[in-house]
Amino acid sequence: MTQRTLAFPFLLVTALALPAAAADKLHLYNWNNYIAPETVKRFEAECKCEVVQTYYSDNEELLAKLAAGAKGYDVLVPTGNTVEALIKGGQLQPLDRAKLPNLKNVDPAYLDTAWDPGNKYSVPYAMSTTILGYNDAKMKELGLPTDTWAVIFDPKHLARVKGRVTVLDSSAELFAAAFKYLGYPANDVDEKHWREAADLIKKAKPYWAAFNASSYIKELTVGNIWLVHGYSNDIFQANQDAQAAGRKFRIVQGMPKEGAVLAVDNMVIHKSAPRPDLAHRFINFMLDGKNSAELTNLIGSGNPNLDAAKYIQPELKALPAVFPPKDVAAKLEQLNELNAAQRRLRNRLWTEIKAAR
Amino acid sequence: MSARRDSRWERWAVTGPPLAYLVVFFAVPTLIMVMASFRSPGDFGGLAPLVGADGRLDLTLESYARLFEDTVYLEVFAKSVVYALVTTLACLMLAYPLAVLIAQSPRRYRDLLLLLVILPFWSNFLIRVYAWMIILGPNAALAQAVNGVLAAFGAEPVPLLFSSFAVLVCLVYVHLPFMVLPLYANLEKHDRALLDAAQDLGANAWQRFWRITFPLSLPGVYAGAALVFIPALGIFAIPDILGGPNDSLIGNLIKQQFLETRDWPFGSVLSIVLTVAALSLAGLAAWVGRRGGAEIARA
Amino acid sequence: MRSRKVALWTAAGIAYAFLYLPLAIVVVYSFNDSRLNAEWVGFTLDWYRKLAGNDEMIAAAGNSLAIALVASLVSTVLGTMAGVAMHRYRLRVLPILVLAPIAIPEILMGVALLIFFVMLNFTLGLVSVALAHIAFCIGFVAIVVRSRLAGMDESLIEAARDCGATPWQAFARVTLPLIMPGVIAGALMAFTLSIDDFVITFFTAGAGTVTLPLQIYSMIKIAVTPEVNAVSTLLMLLTLVLIVVAARLSPSLLRTE
Repeated sequence: MTQRTLAFPFLLVTALALPAAAADKLHLYNWNNYIAPETVKRFEAECKCEVVQTYYSDNEELLAKLAAGAKGYDVLVPTGNTVEALIKGGQLQPLDRAKLPNLKNVDPAYLDTAWDPGNKYSVPYAMSTTILGYNDAKMKELGLPTDTWAVIFDPKHLARVKGRVTVLDSSAELFAAAFKYLGYPANDVDEKHWREAADLIKKAKPYWAAFNASSYIKELTVGNIWLVHGYSNDIFQANQDAQAAGRKFRIVQGMPKEGAVLAVDNMVIHKSAPRPDLAHRFINFMLDGKNSAELTNLIGSGNPNLDAAKYIQPELKALPAVFPPKDVAAKLEQLNELNAAQRRLRNRLWTEIKAAR
Repeated sequence: MSARRDSRWERWAVTGPPLAYLVVFFAVPTLIMVMASFRSPGDFGGLAPLVGADGRLDLTLESYARLFEDTVYLEVFAKSVVYALVTTLACLMLAYPLAVLIAQSPRRYRDLLLLLVILPFWSNFLIRVYAWMIILGPNAALAQAVNGVLAAFGAEPVPLLFSSFAVLVCLVYVHLPFMVLPLYANLEKHDRALLDAAQDLGANAWQRFWRITFPLSLPGVYAGAALVFIPALGIFAIPDILGGPNDSLIGNLIKQQFLETRDWPFGSVLSIVLTVAALSLAGLAAWVGRRGGAEIARA
Repeated sequence: MRSRKVALWTAAGIAYAFLYLPLAIVVVYSFNDSRLNAEWVGFTLDWYRKLAGNDEMIAAAGNSLAIALVASLVSTVLGTMAGVAMHRYRLRVLPILVLAPIAIPEILMGVALLIFFVMLNFTLGLVSVALAHIAFCIGFVAIVVRSRLAGMDESLIEAARDCGATPWQAFARVTLPLIMPGVIAGALMAFTLSIDDFVITFFTAGAGTVTLPLQIYSMIKIAVTPEVNAVSTLLMLLTLVLIVVAARLSPSLLRTE
């Protein structure tokens, strides 16, 4: 190649590798689309800094990367049980309460968890539930119940909706749903119950279209899939998209009466965060009701911030999957961490389920 | 062989840089993870400390033993081999005419035709897979046509999406350029004079292909097959996105070990087995190819 | 003769159609008036407009392009050397080191490289990603170059050496033009692999480094909006233009005469 064509890539790389103008930077490692762009801009204006966002799409990806030693991140947004793993793995630094006056806005029901007593390391950010999502026209047509896990586990119901159901490709979530259906706690660690749940899943598997956590929402919204085991945020978005596309059905969140998994995502600070000062400012900023509400209004996520209530759209507050009333909230459980032996058993059963015909 | 004339310096000048690069940026990191296969998983992720609480090295063959504890791992592995083989054969059948066409085109069109083959693959993988979900969707033209035909025979409709068929179609799609390019690189150097001479001697089209073109293209076939089969063995994203409930492959299993189960040692074990198996199969195919090629040359 | 040509063109045509049908959908859907990549709703240029204002996505695309250019360049050079070496000499270690990165599951290699970089206290960023990409691209180039050399007439090189050419001259003037289609094929494959890599990039990217696949895959669980179709379409066009321009600027090198 000529000198000119050789120079171009090198110049490009050098230009990109040179450090940007020495602005204050906050490195936020978050889920994609899990903070409203306006909120970020407002924070940048207020702190006169730049928020550099990188993304992950799975708690486990975050854990694997940090376990291998990655650094450079300030604020992370892991889900409850992942926070437990991070704390026990020594990956977080304690929060300085003095810098977080807005912490008083958070609903005490979500503070002081078993794995982070006194909220030494984490503060709640947003929540979602893992529930049923369905195409209301089709479910009515088929006469299927939509308020029980039986509709995805019981062959009696499944026979009518064969090939049009997907479940999450997550052993933790699916086993938890199976436990709830069988009447056990979602965090059951009894091996007998694990095997019982595995058998239940194997019996239902032939009726399911797929184990899917990545494209099921698309298919639900278009009408190819009629019933899913999925996250409340995604199902909310699916309905918004369906209405925007002018479809003749609605996508509805179905909260099963047996209960479901609650996932609370938290803001934490990595132990080797380059800018803990900015990190604290950011966390305090996000604990303000107005800022916190913006995410809820954007994606329909649950909100543990009491001060945010007055900024949230009323139709969202009416959704039991997003703002569960007391009787529903009593049946929601957050998932706990398992130890290595329990994870091995779960993976062993999961592999058998996936390989079973 | 001119190799004999090459001085030691020449040999090192050519072999040295790639060898050095791969040793530093591949062999050393991989050895770290091979070591990990003898360690225990950390309680909350990663690996348990190398030196245990009692001051002794915490090394174990436990993860290797698990491999044989149950046939399920071998079953998943066997299924992956089948999928990879089918993908390779399908790629070969689709790629060969394409490579021949490009190799035989006038020089001024050749580069363009080649670029046209690879151009779609500079778009993002995910949206290409999503495009296949649209094509294979139950309400799209293809599914309607297939199920219409099946209905005419009184058979049950089959889902095209979330099935092994969808996974295979997508596997072939994603790997096709890696079969076309090596085949083209080989076919391009074939001397038309050989084929013309054979034709003058009375060989028909099929004979010309089978006795001349194909044997000469074998190195390209093997290169393409290696560059399709080996990566296809380890794939996990395609079954995740559009696979059915029975399409879990060894790549998915390995990913689960590193993510959901956080069992890095067992993930390393599975990876090592996969790598050794893939390299052995490639070596075996190359050996067979050398023998077979010699026989065809003798015939 | 004619019927054989027709058969060839038909078979090749089917292959091209297979390659381009999904791409056509990708491009067409970049104009789709729906957030989801699932069904056609209506025409709009909104996604291109959104993309123009999406600094993050554009920066990510730029990073991907830069890394791919560097990685494919370096891996083509190293891979060609490896391919030539494997053809000429009876080597034992290099063939394994060349083939193994292709076989090894990406997630293992990604985690391994991350641990390695952390051990060396090497700052993660664009450079660490490029280094990782080069490692797995070398094999693809080497294998194609070696297969191109298979059965190559050594007498040409002998003749050149007999005429007094230095080893470098023999390589540059005789070998290289002969293997050029293989080198180009390898370079194209390396570029393609690098620009679309996710797993290894995920683990070796720094805290502020985003490439296009990292950006897009993180949307996998929510919705991969047609903005991604738009950026992909533009990136494809841009790369095509770059390559055509490069080919025009150095015609002598890329021609096989």
